[in-house]
Amino acid sequence: MPLSTQSDQGDGQYVLVASLDNVRNLSNILKAIAFKDHALFNATPNGLKVTVEDSKCLQANAFIQSEIFQEFTIQEDSVSFQVNLTVLLDCLTIFGGSTVPGVTTALRLCYNGYGYPLKLFLEEGGVVTVCKINTQEPEEPIDFEFCSTNVTNKVILQSDSLREAFSELDMTSEVLQITMSPSQPYFRLSTFGNSGNAHYDYPKDSDMMELFQCTKTQTNRYKMSLLKPSTKALALSCKVSVRTDSQGFLSLQYLVRNDDGQICFVEYYCCPDEDVEEE
Amino acid sequence: MDCILIGSNVKVLAKAVQSLSRLGEELYLEPQENGLALRTVNSSRSAYACFLFSPLFFQKYTPPKSSTQRCKMVIKSVQAVFKSLSSLEKTVEKCRIELDIEKSRLTFTLHCKHGLLKTHNLSFQDSESLQAVFDKEGCANTLTAQPKLLVDTVLHFPPSLEEVRVSVNDERVLFRNHVEDEAEQSKAMMTEFCLSAEEFDRFVVNMHTCITFCLKELRGLLVFAESSGLPVSLYFDEPGRPMVLSLTDSVLEVNFVLATLSEEGQPRNHNSNMRRVSEPPITDDFMNDDVDYIIAMEAGELAGDSDWPEPPRHALTPPRLHGAAGDQQESSGECEDEDGQQGAVETPVEESGRPPNKKFRSLFFGSVLPTPSQMSNRTLQSQEVLASDSEDEDGSPSP
Amino acid sequence: MRFRAKILDVGCLNSFTRVVNTISKLTKTCTLRLTADNLYFMLSDKVANGGVSMWCELDQGNFFDEFQMEGVASDANEIYLELVPENLSRALRTAQNAKSLKAKLTKKHCPCLTLAAELPSLSSVSRVVTHDIPVDVIPRKLWHDFREPTVPDFDVSIYLPPLKTMKNVIDRMKNLSNFLVLEANRSGQMNLKIETDLVSVSTHFRDLGNPPCDGGSQGASQDLETMAQARVDIKKLQQFLSSQQVNPSKAMCNIVDKKMVHFVWLHENASLQYFIPAMA
Repeated sequence: MPLSTQSDQGDGQYVLVASLDNVRNLSNILKAIAFKDHALFNATPNGLKVTVEDSKCLQANAFIQSEIFQEFTIQEDSVSFQVNLTVLLDCLTIFGGSTVPGVTTALRLCYNGYGYPLKLFLEEGGVVTVCKINTQEPEEPIDFEFCSTNVTNKVILQSDSLREAFSELDMTSEVLQITMSPSQPYFRLSTFGNSGNAHYDYPKDSDMMELFQCTKTQTNRYKMSLLKPSTKALALSCKVSVRTDSQGFLSLQYLVRNDDGQICFVEYYCCPDEDVEEE
Repeated sequence: MDCILIGSNVKVLAKAVQSLSRLGEELYLEPQENGLALRTVNSSRSAYACFLFSPLFFQKYTPPKSSTQRCKMVIKSVQAVFKSLSSLEKTVEKCRIELDIEKSRLTFTLHCKHGLLKTHNLSFQDSESLQAVFDKEGCANTLTAQPKLLVDTVLHFPPSLEEVRVSVNDERVLFRNHVEDEAEQSKAMMTEFCLSAEEFDRFVVNMHTCITFCLKELRGLLVFAESSGLPVSLYFDEPGRPMVLSLTDSVLEVNFVLATLSEEGQPRNHNSNMRRVSEPPITDDFMNDDVDYIIAMEAGELAGDSDWPEPPRHALTPPRLHGAAGDQQESSGECEDEDGQQGAVETPVEESGRPPNKKFRSLFFGSVLPTPSQMSNRTLQSQEVLASDSEDEDGSPSP
Repeated sequence: MRFRAKILDVGCLNSFTRVVNTISKLTKTCTLRLTADNLYFMLSDKVANGGVSMWCELDQGNFFDEFQMEGVASDANEIYLELVPENLSRALRTAQNAKSLKAKLTKKHCPCLTLAAELPSLSSVSRVVTHDIPVDVIPRKLWHDFREPTVPDFDVSIYLPPLKTMKNVIDRMKNLSNFLVLEANRSGQMNLKIETDLVSVSTHFRDLGNPPCDGGSQGASQDLETMAQARVDIKKLQQFLSSQQVNPSKAMCNIVDKKMVHFVWLHENASLQYFIPAMA
C-alpha cells in the first residue's frame, strides 16, 4: 500500500479512531505496565483499557478514559485486539522519549477491525510518521474476582514514600512480603535475601498515609519478580492504594496525573505466593 | 555493641562503606573501646583499609562487654542498607547499629522522614581480627594534599588503569601510568602528570624515590576523601615498602595501607638518616623478583589494646612506641623489611588455593587465631612466627 | 620527518577536541595525514569497517597557533600516521582548560604523538600533563590507499532535517529493524522507512531543500519527484548521527540509487564526509 500521509481511509471505515494532541498522555501510562511484550487492548465507549499479564498470577491494567482523547470514535460496543506493546511504545515515542517544552507529538490511532493492523499517524513539527503494527487474536483476560466488598485491609499512601522502598528492594529475595495490621507494624514490606532480611515499616499515623483501614492482621507473600515491574507505575503516580482480600490477593491501584493534569488509573492484581496468616 | 548515629554522620558512615567496597568484598566490623572499626582487605591481600570512628562520632556508643564481638560480612549487604546515598542526608534522621554475636544479630535500623522505619538484619560470620601493622611516622616521605588535588590528578588516568608510578624529588612529584606487560607497552598510551611541591599542604621528601602501587585503591580512598573534604596524607619511602594513605579528624581516623612494587636494582637513596636493610633475599617459591614489601598481620586479640609491649628490635631503626589509644598499632620499621618469613605462616584462610598475586605480594600471611597457650605472650609469639624462616634471611637476627 | 604544533587559545582547543571526539566515536583506528596546511582524519572502506569510509579535513590555521612539519621527503611533504583516535580524545579531554597545548612527533618506546598541556594550578608552577600516544608511521608506498574518495555521480542531493529529530527517529527504528531505507528526491522530500514482519514505519520529511545542482552530477532530465534510495545498516547510520558533538552549519546527503549514501557535514573550521554503502 503506498504510503500517503495526508489521506487515510476516512473515518467511516475504521471501527476505532482515537486522537490525542499529546501522545505522551497515552505512551507514559502504557510504560507503567510494559513489562511483557504483549498487551490486550479493549476499547469501549468509555475509553481504552490495556491489559498485560504474567504467568496467570499477575495482571496489570491501564485505563485511559475517552475524555482524555481529543477524539474517540468507536463503531461497536467493544473492540479488542492484541498487539506487541514494546513495538507500539517504540512507535508512539518515535520522535523521542523526552519532552521539549512547547513541543508535543500528535497521535491519530486507527483500527479497521479484526485481522487488520493497528495504524498510527504521528506528527511533530511538520514531520509525519506512519506506523502499521500487526495485531493478533485477543485473549480473554483473567478475572481475579477481586471485589471491593471482600477487602480485608486497605491503605492509601503517597507514592513518593513507597517509591523509595520499592527502589531499594532486595532483589535477591524471591518474595516480597506485605504485612497489614491494625496494630504494629501496621504496614510492612519485607524481603528475605542473600544477605539477610529487611523490613520497611510505615506507621499508620505517618503523614504519607492518607488512609488506613486495616481490620485484621494479614501477612502475604508475593513473587518479587511479579511485583517489581509495578515500580514503574509507582514512579508515575502520586498516590497508591494497597488492598488485600480474605484470600490474600493483592490489588495495587495507582492514581496517575498526565501532562495535562488529568487523572488516569493503573492497577496491578497479584496472587499470593503463600498464605501466612497470623492471628 | 549498640550505637546511634544521627544527621550527616550517617552519610559519612555510608561513604566509608562505599569507599571500603572499592577495595575488598568483605567488611570486618569490630567495635572497640576506642571506637568502631570498619576494615577490609583486598582479595590478593595487598591492600588494607581501616576506618576508625571514635565514640564521639556517635550520638551514643556502647561498646561490647566482651571483646570478642567481631564479625565480617559481604560488603554489598551493608551497601544495601545505605542505598540512595545522595538522598541519605535528606531522608535519614537516625541510624542505629546493634551487634550481638551471641544472639547472632547484626541490625541496622534507619529512622527516616515521615515515620518510615527501615530495619536490616544482616547475616554475618565470626571473624578473626584484621589489622595491619604499619609505621607512618617512620616513612621517609610525607605528602599532604587537599583531596581535590588528588582527584584532579587521577582524572588524567583512565578508569581502567591498574597501576600508577609515583616519583618524588625535592621540588615535584610525578605520576605516570605503569604498564607491566612488554607487549602492551608498544600499544599503550603513556601519561605523565607533574605537580609542584607548592601545591601540597605538606611536602616532606627525605628520600628521592619512585613507587608503584594500585590506582584503584587510591580511587577508593578518594571516594571518601572528596566528600569529607579532609586533607589526605601519603606516607611512603622505598619501593617495596607499603604506602599509607591517611585522613583524620577529631572523630575519625582513616588509613589505607597499600603494597608497592619492589624493583630489583632500584637505586637506593642513602641521603636519609634512615638506613634500611639491603637487598631483599630470594627465599622460597612464593617469592619472585617483583615481590617485596612488608606488612605483618597481627593475629589474635587486638581490640583496643593500647598496652602493647615493644616488639623486639631487629637492625637499625629503633622500634616505634605505640601511640595513644585510637592510633593504629605500630611496630618497628624493621619488621617491615623482613620478607622471607612468608613460608612459616602458611595458614591460608580464604585464599588457600590461590597463588598470591605475582606482582603485589600479599600483605598478610594469613590469620591465625591464637591458641590459649599463645595468648599470654602473643606479641612475641607472632613475631617469632614471622621470623621463623630467618635462615634464609641475610643478617636479620631472630627475635 | 618532524612535526611540532601548539594551540594557545582555549576556544580552538575545545573545537579541536570536539572534532577528535567525533572521529573517536566513528572508528577505533584511523589515519591522520599531516600536510603544511591541513590535517586529515581518514578511514578507508575496508571490509573490516563494514564498507563505510570517512574523510575529515581541517585547516590547521583554524586551530593551531604554531604548526611546523617536515614530511618524509621534500617532494612528499606529508606525514601519514595510523592511530587510535580514542587515545587522542582522552588526552585532549583532560586538557580542556589548558594554558597551552603542544603536540610533537617523538620517538619513545615507539613512534608517538606526544601531547603536553600546561594546566592551571594552585601555585606559581603550572601542572603539566604529557601523553605519549603510540602511532604507526605509514610508509609512502601505501599512501595511495588513502586518497580522498571521489564523489560519485549521485542521483539526489538534499539537505538533512534537524539532526536531533533524525537521530530520535533512527534510535527508535533501530529497535524494530536492522535495516532502514533512506530515500530522497529533488523536491526536498526525504523518507526513512523500515519494514519487518511485525511492523512498518515510515517517517516523512518535507521542504528540506536541495543544494544547488553543480553541473553534470545530476541528470537534468531527472524527474523532481523520483526518489533515489539506499538500504543501509541502521547501526552504522545511528553511529554516525550519535558521533556528532556539535550541529554542523550545513548538513547534506547525496544518494546514489541503490548504491550508497554520502553524508557531507560542514562546520566552520572542518568538513566531514562519511560514506555508507547500500545493502542488497
